[in-house]
Amino acid sequence: MLESRELSCTELTEKYLNAIGKENAALNAYIRLTPETALETARRVDEDIASGRSLSPLEGIPMTLKDNISTKGIETTCCSKMLQGYVPIYDATVWKILKDQNAVLLGKTNMDEFAMGSTCENSCYGGAGNPHDPVRVAGGSSGGAAAAVASDLAVYGLGSDTGGSIREPASFCGAVGFKPTYGTVSRYGLVAFASSFDQIGPITQSVEDAALIYDVISRQDPMDSTCTGRKTAVVPDLGKGIRGLKIGIPREYFDNVPEDVRKALRNTLKIWKSMGAELSEFGMPSVKLGLPIYYILACAEASSNLGRYDGIRYGYCTPHYQNREEMVCKTRSEGFGREVKRRILLGTYVLSAGYYDAYYKKAQDLRGAVIRAFDDVFQKCDLILTPTVPTTAFPKGRTGGDPVENYQTDICTVPVNIAGLPAVSIPCGSGRDGMPVGMQLIGPRFSESVLLNAAYRYEQETGGEPYRVKGMGVDL
Amino acid sequence: MVSKQEIARLAKLAKLYVKPEELDGLTEDLNRMIRFADAVATSPEKGSAFGGFDGRENIFREDVPHPSFRRDDILKNAGSAEDGFFLVRHRR
Repeated sequence: MLESRELSCTELTEKYLNAIGKENAALNAYIRLTPETALETARRVDEDIASGRSLSPLEGIPMTLKDNISTKGIETTCCSKMLQGYVPIYDATVWKILKDQNAVLLGKTNMDEFAMGSTCENSCYGGAGNPHDPVRVAGGSSGGAAAAVASDLAVYGLGSDTGGSIREPASFCGAVGFKPTYGTVSRYGLVAFASSFDQIGPITQSVEDAALIYDVISRQDPMDSTCTGRKTAVVPDLGKGIRGLKIGIPREYFDNVPEDVRKALRNTLKIWKSMGAELSEFGMPSVKLGLPIYYILACAEASSNLGRYDGIRYGYCTPHYQNREEMVCKTRSEGFGREVKRRILLGTYVLSAGYYDAYYKKAQDLRGAVIRAFDDVFQKCDLILTPTVPTTAFPKGRTGGDPVENYQTDICTVPVNIAGLPAVSIPCGSGRDGMPVGMQLIGPRFSESVLLNAAYRYEQETGGEPYRVKGMGVDL
Repeated sequence: MVSKQEIARLAKLAKLYVKPEELDGLTEDLNRMIRFADAVATSPEKGSAFGGFDGRENIFREDVPHPSFRRDDILKNAGSAEDGFFLVRHRR
């Protein structure tokens, strides 16, 4: 459309900015807009088109970044009072890659504070609403990005996924959410939550878009020693047949899943079979410990990572104190929200003397067991199919009190992060309440080609229409 | 069960203040979370040490100096700075 000049990049960008102006108030998907940056990039792209240069695939495409991805010169807060006013002096590697390709950044999106949450309600800017029903949660922690993409207020967004924070909001909002293999996308410039779990990935309206973006952003990065980049490109493999693809269905993932979500997942099985996939059920009891393993390890890592916030070098500082110790403690207590403080305290507990072996070391050992359990499963099947979330998006304010009840939303997603695997959530129907249901496909490490091709084939088999709410956003 | 005194000790370790009116609620929350984590502590499964996903260790780059950030850029986000240093006042 841009190269054929049906629409100029500037016109396209203005359409998105106008749509955001009309619709973002109800959704609160964006917490910061960057119209000047967006239009300046769009003008540059239009000049290049006029000069006859061909565009690269993501050039001139209006997009968004979760507000924990560093953007030089643009405030980056992780939706926390602790970082309000913080303006990074460098770009995250993923943003630098996209910026160099003239991605049009529309703004930064809402999230749970420091990526800790599954509803986007733990944001200092207020929660994001679900485009299908704004009184319901968008999911989290990348809720703003998912809401923006599903309502077509951006073509795509980048989020981060530590325990499901790309896949879960994508499932709730009816978009595609892809978490790559740990280590294939650089974390440099991603504000750290749990460094052995965090991974950046795309939220999109189609699997093809997710594959395209992954191919662009997955490069080895000398600034992130855990980043090896991808092994092969995914896009060339999209469209291959999946006859004989072995898809395993672990029984434990369907425990406590209500009937309407089960029905939506069961309906997908007929489609997989019609495409020639071979389905089998199996037991995977080790994943039942996934949630407590994850919360012990992620909170331990978070308590260490968030130790850097002391009010000295950046971020919020308490206005009154009597000594340095008081300055640091008051700054952290006033700057962090309730859920962040709870997780820091749990992390401190499991790392403290007398408890380290029983909790942290044991959880690390069990992490090894979960990885082996997945390795064993992948000896027998190519991919695993599960619900992304046991429920559809629920009303805001439901999970106020009990932190552990809140964590149950992540039960299907966290084992993937424990094992560093790639996984994608794609819409697969609706629940009884009319809200989207997400299907999660999980692959072995570095199996992005097989994983995303399977998701792509499913998407095409079920119509191939972009996943977005009709009548919202730009809707070209 | 973790006591309020233990929560106060953890808060001190984590450099957090807990107001007296917050302590009861926080103690209850942390106890719920610790009971949840007990499933790991009490699991009979042994597992085996997790040594990273791909077995790589001690990943270093070549010992060749690269340009770093400028001092005045690094100080841009500081609350207070003086003569090219972060300034931390004893009291405010």
